Amino acid sequence: MRINKARQVSAVLAVGALALTAACSSGGASGGGGGSDSGKKATVTNFGVGTKADSTGPAPAVDGAKNGGTAYSLDQAGFDYLDPGQQYVSDQLSVQLLYNRSLTGYKIDPKTGKTIVVGDLATDSGTPSDGSKTWTYTLKDGVKFEDGTPITTKDIKYGIERLFSDYETQGPQYVQKWLYGADYRKQYAGPYDGKEIPDAKISTPDDKTIVFHFLAPHADTPYAMAMPNISPVPKAKDDKQKYNNHPVSTGPYKIESYQPGKSLTFVRNTNWDPKTDPIRNAYPDKWQFQLGIAEPGLTNRLSADTGTDKFAINMSGSADPSKMQTLTSDPQYKGRTVNEYQPYVEVFNLNTKRITNPKVRQALAYAFPMSQVQQAFGGGAQGDLGTTLLSPTVAGWKKFDPFGKLAKPMGDPEKSLQLLKDAGVTTPYKISLAYANTPRWDTVTLTIQKALEKAGFKVERKAIDPTSYYTVVGKVDTPYDMYRTGWGADWPNGSTVVPPTMDGRNLQDGTNNYSFLNDPKVNSEIDRINQITDLTQQAAAWEQLSEYVLQTDTSQIPFIFDKYFNLYGSGLGGVTYNQVYGTINPNSIFVKQ
Amino acid sequence: MFRFLVRRVLGAMVILLLISMITYFLFFALPSDPALLSCGKQCDPQNVALIRKNLGLNLPIWTQYWHYMVGIFAGRHMPVGDCPAPCFGYSFANQQPVWGTIADSYPTTLTLAVGGAATFLTIGVSLGLISAWRQGTVFDRIASATSLLGQSVQIYFIGPLAILLFSTKLGWLDRGHDVDWAHDAWGSVTGMILPCLVLSVIFWSNYSRQTRSLMVEQLSEDHIRAARAKGMSSRYVFLRYALRGAMATIITIFGVDLSAVLGGAIITEVTFGLHGLGLLSVQAVLRSDLPLEMAVMLIGATLIVVCNIVVDLAYAFIDPRIRLA
Amino acid sequence: MSTLSQTAAGPVAGPASSFLSVRDLYVHFATEDGTVKAVDGLSFDLERGSTLGIVGESGSGKSVTNLAILGLHNPLNTKIQGEILLDGQELTGASERQLNRLRGKKMAMIFQDSLAALSPFYTVGRQIAEPFMKHTGASRREARARAVDMLRKVGIPQPDLRVDDYPHQFSGGMRQRAMIAMALVCDPDLVIADEPTTALDVTVQAQILDLLKDLQQETGAAIIIITHDLGVIAKTADQVMVMYAGRCVERGTVKEVMQRPQHPYSWGLLSSVPRLDSSVDTPLVPIPGAPPSLLSPPPGCPFHPRCGFTDLVAGGVCATTRPELPEGERRGSACHLTATQKEAVFIEQIHPRLR
Repeated sequence: MRINKARQVSAVLAVGALALTAACSSGGASGGGGGSDSGKKATVTNFGVGTKADSTGPAPAVDGAKNGGTAYSLDQAGFDYLDPGQQYVSDQLSVQLLYNRSLTGYKIDPKTGKTIVVGDLATDSGTPSDGSKTWTYTLKDGVKFEDGTPITTKDIKYGIERLFSDYETQGPQYVQKWLYGADYRKQYAGPYDGKEIPDAKISTPDDKTIVFHFLAPHADTPYAMAMPNISPVPKAKDDKQKYNNHPVSTGPYKIESYQPGKSLTFVRNTNWDPKTDPIRNAYPDKWQFQLGIAEPGLTNRLSADTGTDKFAINMSGSADPSKMQTLTSDPQYKGRTVNEYQPYVEVFNLNTKRITNPKVRQALAYAFPMSQVQQAFGGGAQGDLGTTLLSPTVAGWKKFDPFGKLAKPMGDPEKSLQLLKDAGVTTPYKISLAYANTPRWDTVTLTIQKALEKAGFKVERKAIDPTSYYTVVGKVDTPYDMYRTGWGADWPNGSTVVPPTMDGRNLQDGTNNYSFLNDPKVNSEIDRINQITDLTQQAAAWEQLSEYVLQTDTSQIPFIFDKYFNLYGSGLGGVTYNQVYGTINPNSIFVKQ
Repeated sequence: MFRFLVRRVLGAMVILLLISMITYFLFFALPSDPALLSCGKQCDPQNVALIRKNLGLNLPIWTQYWHYMVGIFAGRHMPVGDCPAPCFGYSFANQQPVWGTIADSYPTTLTLAVGGAATFLTIGVSLGLISAWRQGTVFDRIASATSLLGQSVQIYFIGPLAILLFSTKLGWLDRGHDVDWAHDAWGSVTGMILPCLVLSVIFWSNYSRQTRSLMVEQLSEDHIRAARAKGMSSRYVFLRYALRGAMATIITIFGVDLSAVLGGAIITEVTFGLHGLGLLSVQAVLRSDLPLEMAVMLIGATLIVVCNIVVDLAYAFIDPRIRLA
Repeated sequence: MSTLSQTAAGPVAGPASSFLSVRDLYVHFATEDGTVKAVDGLSFDLERGSTLGIVGESGSGKSVTNLAILGLHNPLNTKIQGEILLDGQELTGASERQLNRLRGKKMAMIFQDSLAALSPFYTVGRQIAEPFMKHTGASRREARARAVDMLRKVGIPQPDLRVDDYPHQFSGGMRQRAMIAMALVCDPDLVIADEPTTALDVTVQAQILDLLKDLQQETGAAIIIITHDLGVIAKTADQVMVMYAGRCVERGTVKEVMQRPQHPYSWGLLSSVPRLDSSVDTPLVPIPGAPPSLLSPPPGCPFHPRCGFTDLVAGGVCATTRPELPEGERRGSACHLTATQKEAVFIEQIHPRLR
């Protein structure tokens, strides 16, 4: 899962409640209010792994683009972390593209949106050996830090070593765990006591080459290496937590000034060579981030399109729900609207420890009033009807609708009643439905209650304080049957969705398997698919497994694919979208002159 | 006077201590877990335990509280780095030093509070005085109606409207932005005009009504008639006698209002996108950011307590019947 | 029922050159319920150096009359008709500026409740000095010296220290003295004392009245004392005017009114006051009923609903015709009883009760 903090904060502020829809585990889709199904048809993207040629700079020119000008980004929250080692959530993913280069990165075709993973600092997306357990990367020539020092593989290894120290708690842990296992911090405690990661794990035979030796095969490696934390950090500049406020740039821009929570200004990094970079055009001379701009003021500014707001964009946050009606219906905004899928799938978890009969869970899936909930969510522009556990931003995604939700989006009470009868349970079947106590969820759950009670259920709604919602529903012995969470893939492969949410081994409080599904068949399938070394085959296998879980176990009811919807200033061009991050792609943006 | 101050300051410290305790312990009484709120994606038990340790949440609550309070006066060494006094710790959410964050935000809040308070006091009291002077006239009625209107509107309603009208459409005033007195003094002034005006609207109506009724009440006092019987002009009597009598109450209300806006005008700041104490407090609560919450709460409480003492002093200064002891 | 157009009480044939001359004074207040006729055709004269006592119940128009002389009514809701001549100067039509020059300088007022009438926010000295500075153009220092002088004159001990005290630091009697000092600081020719001793205890009352008399002898000012206390009148006044429902119902010298009162209302007033020398067995006789509403005064004699002697007047005239004061006479009463009847009733029925 990836957090879309901006949308959370916006939702909470919008309802005026001083409470947070907990940072841990919530997806986005906090839109709501106006807006109907008038959103644009979002693209279902092709994903792939790029070749060495794809990895060669410079990035293909954008039509009509020129260098120069200042681009503005308005952000509802601020950036909690600029240290690439700590970055994970969507707003951070989008901003780090300006100053941070990882071993690999996503190259997006501005016309088709096709997204491929290519070498960024590295010459390609990685060379596997030893059955995909060993991965070798070679650095490009001419890649430098902002002070002109050439980047070496030692700097990248050091950047990874930092991730093991105890303050680095925020970033992804894929590579660390692949190297050492789940208790990686116990085996290596970071570089600050003078110890390095041994060559048996990561070796740097020369300044250009870095070799990773994983415990198991990982076909996903090209994606994992695109995470912001697989990037170089100069040892001399590393002051641990404080590095957060002045990360050293390897990308086209460097930080000129930073006031946390208020403003962040980037100017050109003259030591960045466009010829080394296949994914960044970097047209504007300057990027100015205005942080902590509250909604609906932010949306108002984007729609007013005056002054410097003509060159402004909201990289990761969707428009304020209260403005959706106007923004989707007024044609004047059409030319400067982005409306695309985010990686999040909104689901209602069905507690498999409590509702043990799968037929009952399936009855719930049939009865679920999907389109009513979508309306309460802000309509089609902020979320499509979602019928699969993987989102369309995941490679290998296929349309799949075992409960006929698209045909009967209002719910199918007859089918539900029939299933309950088949299950041999007494009706009405009692369900406790927990929700974060905000006006929106109050409305949504009321809608659900009405529909379910027509379909043989007796629903008891339980309001939970929003700040403790995820703690409460994440407990293994949670007393609730049904509760909503959101989940987003980290990269376009089911490997970042299926294992964390569906693996039933090691169930404990606070994991992301909120339905506590523990199906031996699923568990063993996860192990099998992880061994597949071909990414395309693997992606297809994850898709199949997720279909199986949905249809047979029905541990979750998916209902919305979140979508980004927002305007950008009329003075910007080349605005593209990064489906993997679920944010605007700043790389191709230019200031019209 | 000195005894009064000593007594009040000691009392204030007790109150602040109690507030700090209540805030701190109430925070932990909530079922939300700050470690879980700041674990991002990595909410597995190991990582949460690590974060808990990093944030110092693994210690007994009393110990945490003790460290926090000592830090305010003596500074602390924290895992995140040294934190010199006054140390309000590092934010749970983004690891920034809380004192620095507040110091960054405070000029904006202070400017908004002082500018807004000066505006609403001036407009409100002037309107009230004119209304009282011209009781029953058309001006009086219009002013009363306007006050009623001002009292019933909300900032989150008129704020965006004012931005749309005066900034976006007419372009007369700045949309409102943070102050930066050191680098852009003029911009700091122009950027605050609209927020100060909007903030003042909900307040001045109260002042004009209060001032008017206080003045009307004062004007019916015997000593007003006595002063007139001495041959003092009605204007003189109005300003020197009646206003003097009304002032004590106005200053009391003003003290309360000023301390409230000094603690951060939340809605105004949010509406105009200003980064002040009010916005910080919203963020702190939204994200269960205890150190920030504590700091904002303590600063707000301190301001209220200080303003109260100042009001009492002013009261004694205005009304010789009141003795400070 | 009298109306404004009627000249209700003819002018007294006093000398045209009276120091204060009030003629046909009407003071009407506009209220939400209607017009309150607080003063309804009043005439009297006052000479320099002499004291006029005005007696009557609350709401009889005593204070309103005097505020009208000072011009202190709110012009927005008050209608004043008639003429008030002070030393030959017309006051009813005078401008605010003219009045401001006269108030405090030529005419001054002593209020009933000194705690309320002194501003709590300024020192006694400042409040005394203020009109002096304004009217004489004295400097702050001179005015302060004058305030100390005045405080000494009214008998405040250590006046040079007390001058900087605030009113709340004074005792009730001292405050009243300070108030007198404030009124007299510019040596006014007319002093209006509105119940100057009501709030004080008896011994202090006597001191204050003595003080007023002494000061009058010194300056030769004319004094109007408003009171409902006949004892105060007996002690201080030369002339007496008994007011009822906004009108004068009886006038004369103190001796005349106190010893040979002619109006049933005056009889009632006298009967309801205890006397030190009267027997404890003599019952006090309160006036029955309540003062009339000034919004709609009763027709005829306004006192007739409370009067016990209306049967003595033939034809029920008391309930239909308003009795007038005899024109041009210094001594007189507004009552339909004949002079003989008045004399007879007083001697036979009232006088014995007063013993």
